Amino acid sequence: MPVFTRTTKNLIIKIDEFFDDIDLGLLVFREGIKAYLDKDTDAFNRHLQKVDNLENNADRLQREIENEMITHSILPQHRSEVSTLIDELDEIIDALKSSLNEINIELPEIPSSLNKNLISLTETSINAAEELIPAARAYFKAPYTVREKLLKVYYFESETDKLSLSIKKIIFQETNEIDLAHKAHLRYIIHHIENISDLAQKAADLLSGMAIKIVM
Amino acid sequence: MILFFLTSGLFLGWSLGANDASHIFGSAVGSKMVTFRKAAIIASVFFILGAVIQGSGTSHTLGKLGAVNAIGGSFTLALAAAITIYMMTKFALPISTTQAIVGAIIGWNYFTGNHTDSSTLEKIVISWIAGPIIGAVFAILLYILVKRFKKSTKIHLIRFESYIKTGLIVVGAFGAYSLGANNIANVMGVFVPAFHLKDLNLWIFALNSSQQLFLLGGLAVASGIITYSWKVMETIGNNILELSSEAALVVVLAQSLVLFIFSSTGLSNLIIKTGLPPIPMVPVSSSQVIVGCILGIGLYKGARNINFRILGEIGLAWIISPVASGLLTFFLLFFMKNIFGINVGSKIIESAGASDQASNLAMYGQSDVSGIIKYLLLGLLIFGTIGIVFYALLENKKSREMQRSEEKFWKNMK
Repeated sequence: MPVFTRTTKNLIIKIDEFFDDIDLGLLVFREGIKAYLDKDTDAFNRHLQKVDNLENNADRLQREIENEMITHSILPQHRSEVSTLIDELDEIIDALKSSLNEINIELPEIPSSLNKNLISLTETSINAAEELIPAARAYFKAPYTVREKLLKVYYFESETDKLSLSIKKIIFQETNEIDLAHKAHLRYIIHHIENISDLAQKAADLLSGMAIKIVM
Repeated sequence: MILFFLTSGLFLGWSLGANDASHIFGSAVGSKMVTFRKAAIIASVFFILGAVIQGSGTSHTLGKLGAVNAIGGSFTLALAAAITIYMMTKFALPISTTQAIVGAIIGWNYFTGNHTDSSTLEKIVISWIAGPIIGAVFAILLYILVKRFKKSTKIHLIRFESYIKTGLIVVGAFGAYSLGANNIANVMGVFVPAFHLKDLNLWIFALNSSQQLFLLGGLAVASGIITYSWKVMETIGNNILELSSEAALVVVLAQSLVLFIFSSTGLSNLIIKTGLPPIPMVPVSSSQVIVGCILGIGLYKGARNINFRILGEIGLAWIISPVASGLLTFFLLFFMKNIFGINVGSKIIESAGASDQASNLAMYGQSDVSGIIKYLLLGLLIFGTIGIVFYALLENKKSREMQRSEEKFWKNMK
């Protein structure tokens, strides 16, 4: 009988560990961007390596969680939604890894006048994703509180959009010392950072529906 | 010949297994918390236990409604009820075996000119109404309790589901036991007055005549569960109201409690001791109770998700089944008596009835049915043990293969 096996306990630990990885990945990404803007290559590479490890671990956990849910017939009614949620969260850490990798490969030249704006954009975008993690944890323990926790995700996502627009405006309308190709490259990097909050919003939409369903 | 006469009862048992017994695990299987295979095995084993240990209480009530005093009559009654149920099951309607058999008994009473005991009939019909209402009340109360527990303890969803899953298995076993105790009278009740078998000594315990009949009926029910109950389980589980896992547990528990209340003589005696009127030992319709339970939860949730069309179809089946079964019994008895010349029973005259019945009983007392049951049990025990060992080995092999494939995958990934 399920109550006498360790499967449940192991699965709960794995899900918690998966959330920890995403949370930690967001933290490391933020530090990675700061290190890049500070031109601290060693710290940037260290953070990139750390995100890479976290992403690999999250992938492994995602696979194990989905396998265990299917083989032990756990959460049959919510399984597909939980799997989709885990997929969405995994996409966030995938985006963190690919963004840092692209910065590492393309080495964009960021004018120092934009440093503050970019840090602010990163902070806000990462905040949106960070607020998603307690909401996702709450889905399993206190689904009644999920929707109130998600409010912050939506707030930070909309702030990220505003910040991104204003930075793009600064780049294309106020920064005359760089050429158009350089501007387009910077826009591309901004898209990458902004994308994290968009992915968080996508997961938040899913989580919101899941919470309603489970509370009903 | 005796075995031939029993076949209609066994067919009825099969129908009960395919239809009524599926209600126990219907919501659990419908909500995918318990696999059909597991549900079928547990339901079969516990139904048989309930029938043999505690099945006599309700069969007395049916006996009072109409004591069928010829084996040909018992055969025809059971056949008519079984055909009615089979036809209804074909349309995936969870109809009631109780109503089919009560309709058949009334049909027999009309045919043989026997008086239908109105007080017993009243008691049975009241229980049909009370059953779903009590079920709905139990379901609402239990549902509130489970919801409050979940909210206050902030238990992890996965842990909670594992408790629910275990609960469904335990409560399902209790439900199957209660159903066996309550509903076996529908299958074998009509044969009890017409059959008298030698006591069957099984070394550690002995089975009397009615218990042997109940055992045979239980085995027939088990075959019905295993071979045909899947379709009805799906109807119960998904069509009336989409059930959450906790609702599935509540539905099975509420239904089991109602069935247990109406079949436990011990509980009835306890109530008498407190000065309250006794609980009637009546075979309650499990179909009606389960619909009552599901409806209770649906009403508590605001009646938004209830599929009223399905409820209407089920309600219609409740009316059709006793009427159809009664009419079919009447016509079948006519053919059996006038065309095949089989004795289907006669009017019971108080003083003469006893001696008539005594001669009937003596006639079947020498039968070797008991011996057949003994070998049947031995065969089941051997096949059951082999089956369990084979299943355990297969599961073990499957999990080892899964583990190996997982290890291989991660090795290749590196």
